[in-house]
Amino acid sequence: MRGVPANSGHPRACAQIHKPYDSESFFEVSIVKLSASCQELLTQLQTVSRVASTRSAVQALSGVQLEAGDSGVELRATDMEIGLRVPLEAEVQRPGTVVLPGRLMLDVARQLPGGDVSIELRPSEGDVEVVSGPARFHIRTLRSEDFPPLPAPGGDTVVTMPAEAFVQTVARVSRSASRDETRPILTGVLVSASGDELRMVATDSYRLSVKETKLDAPLETGFEANVPARALDELSRVAAQVGAETIEIGVRTNQVVFRVGGVVLSSRLIDGQFPNYRQLLPETYEHELHVPGEELAGVVRRISLMAQKNAPLRLSFTEGELTVSAQTPDVGEASEPLPVPFAGEPFEIGFNPEFLRDGLESVASGDVILKLISPLRPGLIEAGDGSGFLYLIMPIRLNV
Amino acid sequence: MSRCIAHLDIDAFYASVELQRRPELQGLPVIVAGSGPRAVVTTASYEARRFGVGSAMPAARAMRLCPEAVVIAPDFTAYREVSARVMELVRGQVDDVEVMGLDEAYLDLGGLLSPRAAMRRLVVAIREDTGMSASVGIGPNKLVANVASDAEKPAGFVVLTREQACARFAGARPGLVPGIGPKTAARLEALGIATLAALAATPDDVLAAHFGARQGPWLARRARFEDDGAVTSERIAVSESRETTFDTDIAGAHRLEEILRRLAGELCEGLARHERRGRTIAIKVRLDDFSTITRARTIAQPTNDAATVADLAVALLREYAPPRPVRLVGVRVAAFAEAEAEAASAPQLALPL
Repeated sequence: MRGVPANSGHPRACAQIHKPYDSESFFEVSIVKLSASCQELLTQLQTVSRVASTRSAVQALSGVQLEAGDSGVELRATDMEIGLRVPLEAEVQRPGTVVLPGRLMLDVARQLPGGDVSIELRPSEGDVEVVSGPARFHIRTLRSEDFPPLPAPGGDTVVTMPAEAFVQTVARVSRSASRDETRPILTGVLVSASGDELRMVATDSYRLSVKETKLDAPLETGFEANVPARALDELSRVAAQVGAETIEIGVRTNQVVFRVGGVVLSSRLIDGQFPNYRQLLPETYEHELHVPGEELAGVVRRISLMAQKNAPLRLSFTEGELTVSAQTPDVGEASEPLPVPFAGEPFEIGFNPEFLRDGLESVASGDVILKLISPLRPGLIEAGDGSGFLYLIMPIRLNV
Repeated sequence: MSRCIAHLDIDAFYASVELQRRPELQGLPVIVAGSGPRAVVTTASYEARRFGVGSAMPAARAMRLCPEAVVIAPDFTAYREVSARVMELVRGQVDDVEVMGLDEAYLDLGGLLSPRAAMRRLVVAIREDTGMSASVGIGPNKLVANVASDAEKPAGFVVLTREQACARFAGARPGLVPGIGPKTAARLEALGIATLAALAATPDDVLAAHFGARQGPWLARRARFEDDGAVTSERIAVSESRETTFDTDIAGAHRLEEILRRLAGELCEGLARHERRGRTIAIKVRLDDFSTITRARTIAQPTNDAATVADLAVALLREYAPPRPVRLVGVRVAAFAEAEAEAASAPQLALPL
């Protein structure tokens, strides 16, 4: 990324961000001095720097903001879509705020000799002094004024629910969210909570995942929000690391703020109406087959190896048998039969191997119910254990 | 059997065509450049080059260097006509021709009994038929041929083995070799690698540490004049782009987006005519300090839809939010080859969303 020159004052919308360097105001706001353990610093930096921007024109967004206050130290990073605030256990000698280059700071923390580390801002030099044992670093800081404030926990609607239930639900659907930024709505997961039910829906228009999770205790209030899948994946990672029992969710007009343990993750919400997924689910199906999930997933994984270069996976149903096959020109082919309780006119349907695998692997365990209509109509994969998971998948039109 | 490849390059092509049409300009410094404050020199006659004028130089600067130069607006129709005649003569001599532009081509001389004599005959034929002077480089690969054709311009005729090329250009700057641009050259120089010989002698692991595992060793191979690229008669288009340099720098986001949309529209019109679709949409932004960035995004389905490309290009621009006034914007649609592979495979059906 290109550095922003310090004296590029242009009369533009974002000119304010790039106003000439003002060392005096820097002096006033930022006097930081603290000490912490090297290990703690590394762990927390690793967590927070994941969301730091890697490609913004504003350099401060690639940084990690460190705020030392009377109540402790917090590390913050944001890419303007997702923000993360992570506590750092440290002893504060002088409170203040400073923005450090994220990537570099992480590399330094990784190489520190261990024991304690002290971080002190040297305002006149415009750098921080990082000392651990005999090692001493002077690291230039980034422009504090360019780092946006991150939201505090809470919101118009605040819901607390078991972390495990929330994270498990995310894990079942987030793969179906689109990564195609041309349709922002589909890059989110529609999260709805009310009563004792949590539901998440995601689709990239080729497949659709729905997971309904029963909560042990009913919620006091409900909400519905289209949350970027990235934010939920990041939240899952943080939750696993923090090991908290509950997640507090604060929903505002265009923002959601999660609190897990001492970590606060905020994300903007995606504007617009999420598709009505119910009307996409066919009302009736021609075939309904109970198939051992693990076994089918295994066959699909194996045969997929021969479905390269966008080649489809073929599922051929005949009396009592399903044959999964694939072939890629100049690479090879594979097929494997599996006994299934199929009856009726034989037919063949094609699927994207990755989409089919995602669906089968999202059914946690036990039987899957395979519901099909015809080669060009959507198929449905359902968890056989009544765990409330649906995976609708669109076929690939086969040439033969 | 070792290969024998020629690189043929017409000397000061556009300027030569102009001089032929206006003999009264013979011996005068002639610059072919567009009009407008941002125009660049497309070609300069050798008389103009003596003043330090070179291709791709801003026309305004060229005029300062050589105020008496005659500036002619480019006439690509005329250049294409002459180029077609030249290439016809080339194809009369050699079967495998890779045309690199209007004025240059690689020729695979593998099948010829006396390649040098054939090339000399070709140069004479080009001069007699079109009046154009050509420089020829002959070597065991495209890289040697390319550098050799440039070594004694104009009307050069240089034949080199790989070893001779290494020896002859040992003291030259790495930037002499096509593929090593000014940025890479500057980074090499910062590492104390100022000549091709020095680059050739630098261990792969040192280069890999600075330029990555692929580019590092590749640089040393270039410096050793190793190249196994084939002369391919058909160049397969993998991307298409439109870009424009502004007469004055633009700072307003709204205006930039408008221009980007217009470029996307033009680009998609061209794509649609050739029934091409791409999955990767990219923008290019050059700021007033000449720093240039590109941003790209790949979408699920190949497209040549103007609205889709324009929306994505504008989104990429907004995400980047140029921190300084902008000098040039461009939009590109790429990954055609993939798009074709996809079309060949079976179509994925989508939910009616």
